[in-house]
Amino acid sequence: MGFFLVMKAELVRTWIIMRRYWFRTVTGMIMGYGMLMVMIAGFIYSRPMVGSAINKIEDPMAATNFVLGFIIGMFAFGVVGMFTQGLQGMATTGVLEQLCMSPHGLITNFMAQTLVGSVTSILSSSVMVFMVTFTVGGTMHWDTIPVVVLLTLTFFNLIGFGFMVGGLVLVFKQVGQVAFILRMALFGLAVFAREDLLKQPWFVTVPMHLLPVTDAAICLKYVLIKGQVDAAGQHLSVFQHPSFYWLFASCFLWTAIGLAVFRVMEDYSRSKGTLGSY
Amino acid sequence: MSEYMVEMQHIDKVFRTRHVLQLDEETRRRRWYKVNEVHAAADICFGIKSGEIFGLLGPNGAGKTTAVKMISGLVRPDRGMVLVDGLDVERKRRQILRKVGVVLEGTRTSMWPLTPYENLMYYGNLKNVRGSVLKGRAHDLLDFIGLKEKKNTEVRKLSRGQKQKLAICIALIADPNVLLLDEPTTGLDVQSSRAIKDKIIELTRQHGRSVLVTTHDMHVAQELCDRIGIINKGHLVTCQPTSDLLDLFSDQVFSFKVSSLPDSAEFSDIPGVLAATTEQSADGPVLVVKVAPDEALRSEALYGVTERLRGLGCRMVSVNQRQQNLESVFLQITGEPLQDAGEKDSSGTDAA
Repeated sequence: MGFFLVMKAELVRTWIIMRRYWFRTVTGMIMGYGMLMVMIAGFIYSRPMVGSAINKIEDPMAATNFVLGFIIGMFAFGVVGMFTQGLQGMATTGVLEQLCMSPHGLITNFMAQTLVGSVTSILSSSVMVFMVTFTVGGTMHWDTIPVVVLLTLTFFNLIGFGFMVGGLVLVFKQVGQVAFILRMALFGLAVFAREDLLKQPWFVTVPMHLLPVTDAAICLKYVLIKGQVDAAGQHLSVFQHPSFYWLFASCFLWTAIGLAVFRVMEDYSRSKGTLGSY
Repeated sequence: MSEYMVEMQHIDKVFRTRHVLQLDEETRRRRWYKVNEVHAAADICFGIKSGEIFGLLGPNGAGKTTAVKMISGLVRPDRGMVLVDGLDVERKRRQILRKVGVVLEGTRTSMWPLTPYENLMYYGNLKNVRGSVLKGRAHDLLDFIGLKEKKNTEVRKLSRGQKQKLAICIALIADPNVLLLDEPTTGLDVQSSRAIKDKIIELTRQHGRSVLVTTHDMHVAQELCDRIGIINKGHLVTCQPTSDLLDLFSDQVFSFKVSSLPDSAEFSDIPGVLAATTEQSADGPVLVVKVAPDEALRSEALYGVTERLRGLGCRMVSVNQRQQNLESVFLQITGEPLQDAGEKDSSGTDAA
């Protein structure tokens, strides 16, 4: 019950800020769209002239793949960022101390805050994906149930990882800077994640599976871009795809690890006297 | 059942900071690893009754904020027990957080892009208050604190005093029995400071709340508090009703700026003179005389000192009554000078 109350408060706060600073919200989306288009033209097609590249798009699927990877990467970057830079920001402004003194507990507060942040991010990202896909003439296969299931699993996967990093940031402040590099790695992995990446020796693939974004990105791209059609051209539900099982397992693993580490670190932080301060 | 709403029982807290490759100030050599220990609380015991304003007075780094954080569950004591309404903070932290409102010093607390009303609605939900109760309480608090006209103005546009008032409203949104205020008037102008002090008094006298105020300003403590505890280097030096402590503050000390430094022993036999010392200030030699509080004796003492100075051939330039401050009271209580614990109490433990 407390979780929903906090979530409502977060939702209202986010809505007020988005509405009050509507110009910033709109320009942010336009800038995001422009940035994606330039990156598609510049990086994917690598034509000497960016302008002509936009007019000579030959493989819309590659562009959509890139855009989707970019958006998933941004999602991962944002969710983990809420526990690192977000946490540091709240600590420096004193808001974190107030959250720590909430009877609902820090975990409930963060969970609600991240969920609202993620939903907002997914909604604005969806608009951008649609706009870019429409511009480059790509197609996307929207299948509601698999997409919602995959996004939920991705969210808990990332939030578990975020809780682990956030817990460490509560005590070891410098972890926040290291986490930034980690976020960039997750971002890159989401952009370039594809099934071919997993055709490597086990000592490469197992760590890849353990990273919270690899299988999530592969599954989402499999549904949205390939329309759940395998390499042989047969329809294979994403729920039967090997990456889905890995995603499912890593989701539980990261959520359990994340919550356990966060609890221990919150407790340790209270002993050290650093809870809520930075 | 204890008479206290808040009780700190034999609290110890040591903060350890680790430094890598730090220069040792004594040996001037670089150490690989060094642990500094700061005693933020050393066997602290005090209680706050219902409807009482308790002041925790001390210099920077004395351990005042740590005491507040321990009561609000932000810091765990190494030893001892903190009780709020008879409940142990360590065991019943969430339950206690509903009973305690906290305004920590120097933090923004409120969300600046939101208005005061929106802030109260947000923090109300966070503290498990909802619906019409929350709306009613938000309006009442803004009215009580004097922010009704500003309820729809973004917090970033408010003055510092108004932001501090809002922070108090946020602390009160869950209708707590205990209010902890860490340096509530620091950095505020006289008018804002006065307004906040009035509201704190009103909250206690009319609404029966227990309030803990930390401050390094003895005038704030004097105006607000029913009882005062003086804390230094984590030790609670004294804990007395304000009126008793004020007796210490009301000592009559006069400084005579003179043309040449006399022998202080020459003044000890004058009736009404309790003590006499000399010091060389930047403005020249000064004779400092502590006289009896009794008015008749005081006049006699002052007359006697001026006569004795004339007899010794010292020309008197000016006379001033010295304002007693925390430092001098502290000196009287402990016989030791007051030190900034943050700077002086870091006993380094070399772990290299």
